[in-house]
Amino acid sequence: MTILNETLQEEELKIQTPSISRKDEYESVGKSVLRKDSVPKVTGKAIYTGDLHMPGMLFGKVLLSTQAHALIKSIDVSAAAAVPGVKAVLTSRDIPGENAFGIAIPDQQVLAETKVRYIGEPVAIVAAEDIFAAEQAISQIQVEYEPLPAVFSPFDALKPGAPAVHAKGNILYHTKVRKGNIERGFDEAAIIVENIYRTSGQDHAPIEPEAGFAWIDAEGVLNVFSGTQYAFRDRRQIAIALNLPMNRVRVANMTMGGGFGRKDDVTAEILVALLAWKTGRPVRLVYSRHEAMMSQTHRHPTYTRVRTGANKEGKLTAMEGVIYGDTGAYASLGLFVIKKMALHLGGPYYYPNYKSDSFSVYTNNPIFGAFRGFGVLQAAVSHEGQIDELAEKLGMDPIEFRLRNCLRPGLSFSTGQLMTNACGIATTLERLQDYLVENGLSIELHPEVSA
Amino acid sequence: MDENNLIKMELTVNGEAVSMIVKGGRRLLDFLRDDLHLTGTKEGCGEGECGSCTVHLDGQSVLACLTPMERAIGCSVLTIEGVGSPTNLHPVQAALLDEGGVQCGMCTPGMVMSALDLLERNPDPTIEEIIEGISGNLCRCTGYKKIIYGIQQAAQELQAASPAGTVKESVE
Amino acid sequence: MKLRGIGVGSMMYGLGYGFARPDFSTTDIELAPDGTVTIWNGASELGQGLQTLLCQLVAEELGIPYEDTFIITADTGRTPDAGPVSASRSTYVQGNSALKACRDLKKPMAELAGELLKTDPDQLIFKKGLVQDQNEPSRSISFTNLAGGMHQRGRRVRGSGYHSITTGDVDKETSQGDAYATYAWASQLAEVEVDTETGQVTVLRLASATDAGKAINPKMVEGQIEGGAVQGLGFALMEDMKIEQGEFKNAKLSTYLIPTAADVPMVEPLIVEVYDPTGPYGAKGVAEPATIPTAPTIFNAIANALGQRVRFTPATPEKMLKLLGKLEEKEEQITIEDMPYPEP
Ligand code: FES
Ligand code: FES
Repeated sequence: MTILNETLQEEELKIQTPSISRKDEYESVGKSVLRKDSVPKVTGKAIYTGDLHMPGMLFGKVLLSTQAHALIKSIDVSAAAAVPGVKAVLTSRDIPGENAFGIAIPDQQVLAETKVRYIGEPVAIVAAEDIFAAEQAISQIQVEYEPLPAVFSPFDALKPGAPAVHAKGNILYHTKVRKGNIERGFDEAAIIVENIYRTSGQDHAPIEPEAGFAWIDAEGVLNVFSGTQYAFRDRRQIAIALNLPMNRVRVANMTMGGGFGRKDDVTAEILVALLAWKTGRPVRLVYSRHEAMMSQTHRHPTYTRVRTGANKEGKLTAMEGVIYGDTGAYASLGLFVIKKMALHLGGPYYYPNYKSDSFSVYTNNPIFGAFRGFGVLQAAVSHEGQIDELAEKLGMDPIEFRLRNCLRPGLSFSTGQLMTNACGIATTLERLQDYLVENGLSIELHPEVSA
Repeated sequence: MDENNLIKMELTVNGEAVSMIVKGGRRLLDFLRDDLHLTGTKEGCGEGECGSCTVHLDGQSVLACLTPMERAIGCSVLTIEGVGSPTNLHPVQAALLDEGGVQCGMCTPGMVMSALDLLERNPDPTIEEIIEGISGNLCRCTGYKKIIYGIQQAAQELQAASPAGTVKESVE
Repeated sequence: MKLRGIGVGSMMYGLGYGFARPDFSTTDIELAPDGTVTIWNGASELGQGLQTLLCQLVAEELGIPYEDTFIITADTGRTPDAGPVSASRSTYVQGNSALKACRDLKKPMAELAGELLKTDPDQLIFKKGLVQDQNEPSRSISFTNLAGGMHQRGRRVRGSGYHSITTGDVDKETSQGDAYATYAWASQLAEVEVDTETGQVTVLRLASATDAGKAINPKMVEGQIEGGAVQGLGFALMEDMKIEQGEFKNAKLSTYLIPTAADVPMVEPLIVEVYDPTGPYGAKGVAEPATIPTAPTIFNAIANALGQRVRFTPATPEKMLKLLGKLEEKEEQITIEDMPYPEP
């Protein structure tokens, strides 16, 4: 296009067109355009972290703890270091900066120092000329553990005299939500249902296991490539662990094979950065599926007791609940996940009176962190069980009962926050009513037996 | 590296003759990814569960993570890199894009290879047959629906493009 | 015996972080002399479609073809910090920052266009590849020519947009206060068949009415809903993370089973659009809302079929048989006594 000439102004003004108004339909918004990233992906050309390769590249590997709670008495790396092709065997002693990181609070160790807190915690790392040497070196590292008493459920962790996972105690956070007058709310109820709900852990299982790639460029900048949900937080945490100015670390996200919350935490980034920094060589560290599942975060298992009251007209009057969330050995986002759960325990309904408490508790289980749904998913198992049961006991249609109680503009959430016009719950329920009609379905028709 | 474990890999990959002396005793997946740098074939599990390493060996779908590299000697291997290019997509690839069956893309190369295998054996599959054909390929993002419809769309296009009935008969 | 049932489940989800956690995004945008634009945003493409979404928003806001946009994401060496990708905030926060970057770029562009067209820059709209006076349509210039003119005259051709939804914190003792910038909504419906002999639950139908505010890319929204619901189905029925004495016992895909194509119904996405004035073109995130209600929806359908409620996950055949009293429950159960309500 040759548009840069002195007569541009004339040229520029040449095009005359019909009127376009502000209101007409969108051109790009609302269209299912071809995804920007999809052609490289469908042809196998997209580069994920584990696909990276550089001349002189070393292969990294991690040794994970086999103990749920134990003191590390000694680590002998001499045999590992003697394996031909091994360029570095690193333990916590080799960390130039702070041996601490964490997405919300830095309670996690880059490499376990004096104590391990879960099975799967990184203890040592290796870089070698090929993956076989790296694997062999890992198997040669001798770690002497002194097992400690451990806790594997939030209830055990809260017992007086329970083993302390962290020095400051096993309660990471206690959230309290208090709205209205809970006693009065239950006095007004004609019917109350009370239950315990239990949700299990869940592995994110992104089809791409966690991986990292690091090298030092000509300017001395430490480059770290990975699949990450937040490159800037990773950069900060790498710089702190390596004792580098933050502007000498670059983190870039590669094509990423899913995250679902797990890759919000640092995964392989600090470890692979350490290996590259110590060896001066490019290093690639790819977790096996098993290593990823053992060492990375998962969905919080929770235990919830909740009671919910409604009056004869089928209006909710009160909800009271208590939640115990197992956050595992380290905080990750366990504070906010379980806090969010307490706020959302009632679901998308209006309760004049609402009281909930949630405890995010450390245990010696694997780490539980952010996972699509973030505590609200666990809350939904409770509130939808409660609401459905109330509707059934009141003899009401489950959708009608929800519509009668759902939040609307001007009604308040558990925190007292007023809903705006963007409160869409009723519309989604009405859409389901339409769907039932469209498909000739009805909820009352069941159960139906088809031996 | 163990000098004694070197082997000669002579085979055809994506239509091109390959002859290389490399370390033996590894998986076909390692040979493709580490020696040939054909990284379109992915590793999601390394134990035959996810299907992301699916390639064709002499026209048959195999899991490259469970296939010893030596098995490919003298064979013809097809990987995602040999299927279609960005400017010349295979109908299966084009249909996956069109339907929206690609999110993170980690499962996609394996899905494409499984779909090609299915359509070769069964050019006019039912939805159930498509589901069966990709049930060894895990996808954590899409919920499978758009992949299934994509494969169905591709099958219809391929059917329309090829002389009616010729391929199908040989299968039935 | 095989019993069928239908159930529904709903959810609300506070979008973004809340609690005074930093919740912001910056987007930069640059205009090339040929009218194409490059966008830099520090957020990650996970497979959810963030790059495509931001490009669509920019194309719309500048009135240029989607094909004329190019985006670079999540690189501390190149992009501005856009905050994390989580909490279903990308459409909402990163999307808004992209719109602001466009508006920042449009300012100097409108100034030059105003000079060239001898009209009020405030009256100019960017649409269909044109920059045009909305009152006097005959006064217009093509976006491409204006781009060239900007460069020729050395005008500012870079825009930046910062958007923050960082909230105040709620009260420490009562959690009262404005917790989130906005909320997302969804309701789902499932039809299941329960085999009372084997305990197997089959989901025959799963429909999800999800409020997208405005579906910027309907196919991507559908993809989020379909994939999200299937993850929720896995959580409800299959994904059994066995932890014994702290050890994740089945940490392999051969023993930790996630849904295959054969395990799931064709999820029916029902996109609902309740315009959110605080979202870009009214839009908000859908990733998490698609997953959240699935498990209880399935459990309510099971209750409709059996008359018995599932209050645990996952409802594997073994656990269903225990619920039906056909297998002995050996695990110690948590009771109400273990969980007293704390004092007011
Ligand atoms: S990597 Fe081969 S099946 Fe998963
Ligand atoms: S698109 Fe992500 S695993 Fe299939």
